[in-house]
This record gives sequence, C-alpha cells and structure tokens, in this order.
Amino acid sequence: MPAGWWTRKRHYFLYVVREFTALPLALWLLWLLVEIKRAGDGPARYSPHGSTAFVVFSVIVLLFALYHSVTFLSLTGVIIRVKLFDRPLPSGLISLAMFVLWAVASVVIGFVLIWFGR
Amino acid sequence: MPEKRITIKATRYDPEKDEKPHLQSYEIPFYDESMVVLDALNYIKSDVDGSLSYRWSCRMGICGSCGMMVNGTPKLTCNAFLRDYWPQAIVVEPLNNFPIIRDLVIDMEDFMHKLKSIKPWIIRKQEIPLGAGEHRQTNEQIDDFRQFSQCINCMLCYAACPVYGLNDEFLGPAAIALARRYNLDSRDQGLKQRLPVIGDSEGVWECSFVGECSVVCPKGVDPAKAIQQTKLDTTMRFVLPYGNRE
Ligand code: SF4
Ligand code: FES
Repeated sequence: MPAGWWTRKRHYFLYVVREFTALPLALWLLWLLVEIKRAGDGPARYSPHGSTAFVVFSVIVLLFALYHSVTFLSLTGVIIRVKLFDRPLPSGLISLAMFVLWAVASVVIGFVLIWFGR
Repeated sequence: MPEKRITIKATRYDPEKDEKPHLQSYEIPFYDESMVVLDALNYIKSDVDGSLSYRWSCRMGICGSCGMMVNGTPKLTCNAFLRDYWPQAIVVEPLNNFPIIRDLVIDMEDFMHKLKSIKPWIIRKQEIPLGAGEHRQTNEQIDDFRQFSQCINCMLCYAACPVYGLNDEFLGPAAIALARRYNLDSRDQGLKQRLPVIGDSEGVWECSFVGECSVVCPKGVDPAKAIQQTKLDTTMRFVLPYGNRE
C-alpha cells in the first residue's frame, strides 16, 4: 500500500479525518482531567483556564466531536437490527432515534452540570 | 464521420521477463455504445495482442471473475461501460491488494483460504435424514440473510479495503458477510464453529469501518454492515447473561 493511499479517494480521506478527530478529542479530555484535578483543591484556589488559544482549541475540538458523533450516529441504523412484530425497523428510524437520544442526553447532562455548577 | 476510438491502458506483467508491472496503451475502435471494458479487453486480445491475460466468464455480472481496477476503482469489467469514460483513456489494472500472477490476473489463493475458513455451508448438530422432509423457512427468515447471500466472490471489496491492504491477515469483507449469511440462516447451527474465526482479532475487530467495501460491491451485499452487525452481536454474546446462546 502506498503511504498516500488515503488521499486517493474522497471516501478514504473522510474516513481518515473521522479517525483523526479522536486524537484532539483525547487531548481535550486529558486537559479536562487536569482541570478537574485543579478544581479539587477547592473553589478559592481554582481559576478556570480561559486563554483565547484554549477557547479556540475547544471550539475546534467541539466541531471534531460533532463530526465524529454525526458520522457515528448516522451509521447506527446500518448496524443495529431491531425487529418489531417480526419485521425489521427501517434503518432511518433507528438513526433518528439515536439522534433524539443524543440530544436528550446532551440536554440532561448540560442541565446537571449547570445545576451543580451554581 | 470518423470512427470513434478509445485508449485502453492495461497492466502488462510477465514474471519471467519483467521486473515490475507496467502499462501498455492500446487504441481501439469504440463502435457500440453498449461496449464495456471487458469487450475492449476482448477486442485487444482477439485483434491486437493475443498475449494479454485476464479472467472472465459470464459477461453478465454473475460469475465474479472479471474484477479489475478501472481508473483506480475496483469494478466488474463486464459492467463498466466505455461510454462512461470516453473520450478519456481508461486505465485497467489488476485488483489492488493481491499478488499479480500475470498481466491482469491476480492470485486469489488467500481469498479462497479465507472463504473456506468460515465454513460457508449449513452446519447441523445432527443431520436430519432426507426422508424427514425439507428444512422449511418463512419469507421473513429468508429476508434476514438474503442480502448477504448475493455475494459473487468478485473480491472487489478486498481491493477497496485499506485494512486488508495493510494487513492481509484480516479475514476481510466478503468472508465475514458470508459467515453472517450462514449465522442468520434459521437452518444453520454452526455459529459456535465460526465464532473463533470471525470473533478473532484478525476477524471483525480488525475492521475500522472505512465502508468502501460496501460502496464498490456490485451486488449490494453491504459487507460493512455485516461486519458491524457481527461486532455488535459478538459483544452482546459476551456481555449479556444469556448471550452465549446458540
Ligand atoms: S461482498 Fe460484494 S464486492 Fe465483496 S466479493 Fe461479494 S459481491 Fe464482490
Ligand atoms: S464476466 Fe462474470 S461477472 Fe464479469
């Protein structure tokens, strides 16, 4: 396989981008662990990291996370087989259900975080 | 009106003479809109250069033997129309990711070995005597695996799969789709015999879901779907208390 195989086709390229998005996401999550550790010292000694560079990095990582999630959830309809009354549910419906669950989970987690943060 | 012509650049390779494969150009008449790449190769072989080697048989997308790279994409050459490429030249190469035997002919030994390893036949714990009648199935039971039974073993999915290209130990798309076809068949009881092969690290777990196998599959088998469903199934067997059922 030539080293540049992933540049040969749009599909390969998008796949590599999808896989690559996991890397900055992992870095951001490591950073989150550092922040949690710092916050463990108590509110008086904690100041959140708010430099412009970090905000820009976070926004980019958010876009990557959205791309990763959307590509992943769109595929769930292909992967998950659910039968209702002996007939398989249409894959579009399964993907839609996953997106709804994703939205509900995001709202609930956001709500809980804001609630405890106050 | 001058005769329409098209250029075919085909891989030539004679292991006894050539160090590596190279392309040879042939300009041939494009006399019929229904001509496919395989017709062009047949024209070259019969009228221009009889030494060109390639596989084919049915000319109707059934036998799966005429798969080649057409302008970099794995295609059945009997199903790739010249009109979709003309006036550009068409580059015809042997399927990616396989060793070349000669010209456009690849060595499919590895694929055959993998197909066999998943035991692609109905396995029964106890054979039912013929006199006991047929194994009946409902339409819904057939629908469960119908899509995965359409495979014609053309190997286009292997040529499209970068994971197989990087690691030829990977069981690969068509073999896993075929395993799923039998595992979903209500008459089959061979899941446990196939699990060590499909659940292996070189089985479904080697796949990182590029998805190109399903894009190039000429029969709509969707091997990527078979692989991801198998991943989910094998995981469920592992985590659910009743998972290790037959
Ligand atoms: S799954 Fe599709 S592409 Fe792969 S061998 Fe079967 S028919 Fe060909
Ligand atoms: S010649 Fe049989 S599939 Fe093309």
